[in-house]
Amino acid sequence: MYPAVIEEYVRPTTVEDAVDVLGRYPGGEAIFLAGGQSVMQAIKSRMMRPRCVIDLQDISSLKGIAVNADGIRLGAMVRYVDIVRCAELPPAYAALRDAAQHVGDRQVRNRGTIGGSCCWNYLASCLPATVLALGGTMMLLRQDGHRREMAVDDFLIGPLETARGDDEILTAIHFKAATRTGSAYQKWGLLKDALPVVGVCVKVSLDGDGRCIAARISLSGLAAGAQRAPGGEIVLVGSAGETGIIEKAFAMIAEQVDAQSDQWANSAYRQQLIRTLGREVATRAFGRARGES
Amino acid sequence: MKTIQVTINGELYQETVPIRMLLVDFIRERCGLTGTHVACTYEGVCGACTVQLDGEAIKSCMLLAVQADGHRITTVEGLANGSDLTPLQTAFKAHHGLQCGFCTPGILMNMTEFLEKNPEPTDDEIRYGLIGNLCRCTGYVHIVDAVRAASKVAKQGGQDGG
Repeated sequence: MYPAVIEEYVRPTTVEDAVDVLGRYPGGEAIFLAGGQSVMQAIKSRMMRPRCVIDLQDISSLKGIAVNADGIRLGAMVRYVDIVRCAELPPAYAALRDAAQHVGDRQVRNRGTIGGSCCWNYLASCLPATVLALGGTMMLLRQDGHRREMAVDDFLIGPLETARGDDEILTAIHFKAATRTGSAYQKWGLLKDALPVVGVCVKVSLDGDGRCIAARISLSGLAAGAQRAPGGEIVLVGSAGETGIIEKAFAMIAEQVDAQSDQWANSAYRQQLIRTLGREVATRAFGRARGES
Repeated sequence: MKTIQVTINGELYQETVPIRMLLVDFIRERCGLTGTHVACTYEGVCGACTVQLDGEAIKSCMLLAVQADGHRITTVEGLANGSDLTPLQTAFKAHHGLQCGFCTPGILMNMTEFLEKNPEPTDDEIRYGLIGNLCRCTGYVHIVDAVRAASKVAKQGGQDGG
C-alpha cells in the first residue's frame, strides 16, 4: 500500500481558497484531506489517485465546537478526541460522545474528524449514523460562493456517497437545541472499538409527563449504509420508554431491515444485534431525556 | 516535490520530498531515525509507526510527510535524555514489557501521551488505550504491567514499583 504520484499539495487557510483549488481540477482529481484516517487508506491502496491533495488542517473556521442557546455547531474538522473531551455536550447530543470515544483507537481519534467521516460515509462507521439519528444540518459552501443547508437525511445517499457536490465543501454540522431530549449510540464489532457490525443510535424527545413526542432511530453496519428505521420510531412515540415497547420497536426494525450476511455476521445475528443493542441504546436515550446520567 | 521543514526531537529537518511520501518514510529514510518501525506495510493497523505530532500519538503511515510541514514530531529516539530513560521506558525494561521489541517504539509513543492525559489509569483503561498497537509476542500482560508501574497509580498505591 503506497500512494501513486500526487502532483500538487496545497494547504489553504480559508474555505473559499479551498473550494477555489478544487475548481481548478476536473471532478474527483483534487480531493480534500481532513483527518485522513479513511482517505489516506484509499490513497495508499490506490482506490483513489488524486492529482491534487487539499489539506484542510490550517482552516481555523472548520474547527471548534460551539454550544449556545440555539444549539451546537461542530466544525467539519472537529476530531473524535475533541468530541470526547467536550464537557458541554447536552444530553440531547450525548450520542456523539458515545460514538466518538469508540472509533478506531487513540491514534485514529487524535486525527479523524466528524466532517471527514460524514463525507466519506462508509457503511460500517459510527458518525454518519449518529448524525443521522440526531437530525443534524449539514452546512455546505460551493465554489461560486453559494451556501446551502441540507438535512443529514438528504446528505447521506448511500455507502461512500453523499449529496456534497464536486465543487462543494462541508463546513460545519449544526444541531438545534432541544429540551427533555436524550440520545445514545452503541455498536458491536468483532473486537473492542472495531468497525460496527451493527450500530444503533436513538434520539427521543419527551413531553412534561415523560411521554415520547418524537423519536429518531438509525442503524449502521448494514449494506445500504446509514439508515433511519421509521417503523420503530412510530412505535416509540407515545411511550414512556417501557422495556416492552422498546423491545417491540426493535423487533419490528430487525424484521423490516435488509440485514446482509457476510464474513462478520449472518443476517440472523445482525437482527439479534439490532434487538439487543436497540433495547440498551433506547433505554439509555430515554434516561438521558429524563435527566438521568 | 515539495520542500518541508519538520522539527523532530527538537532538531529542524528541511528536505525536499515527493508529495506522495509517507511521514514514516520521511522519518526513517530522510532523517535516519529508524526507531520508528513499519510492521504492517503501511496499512494503518499495527501502530508500530506511532509517533507524536505536536504531542499527540498518531500513526505516521497515515500521513503524508508534507502534512507535517511546520509541525513538531517526537519519535522514540526523543524520549530518553541521553542514557536516562523515561519512567515508562524503565518500567518496560523492569517488567519485560517487550520480547522482540519491534512494536515497542510505537507503544511507548502512544502510552507516553496516554499517561499524560490519564496519569491514574485502571487496567481496563490501559488495555483500551493499547487497541491501536499490535504486539505478537507478549500477549500484552507485561505491557499492561509496565504501563501501570509507570503511572501514578503505582507511585501512590505502591502496587508494584518494579
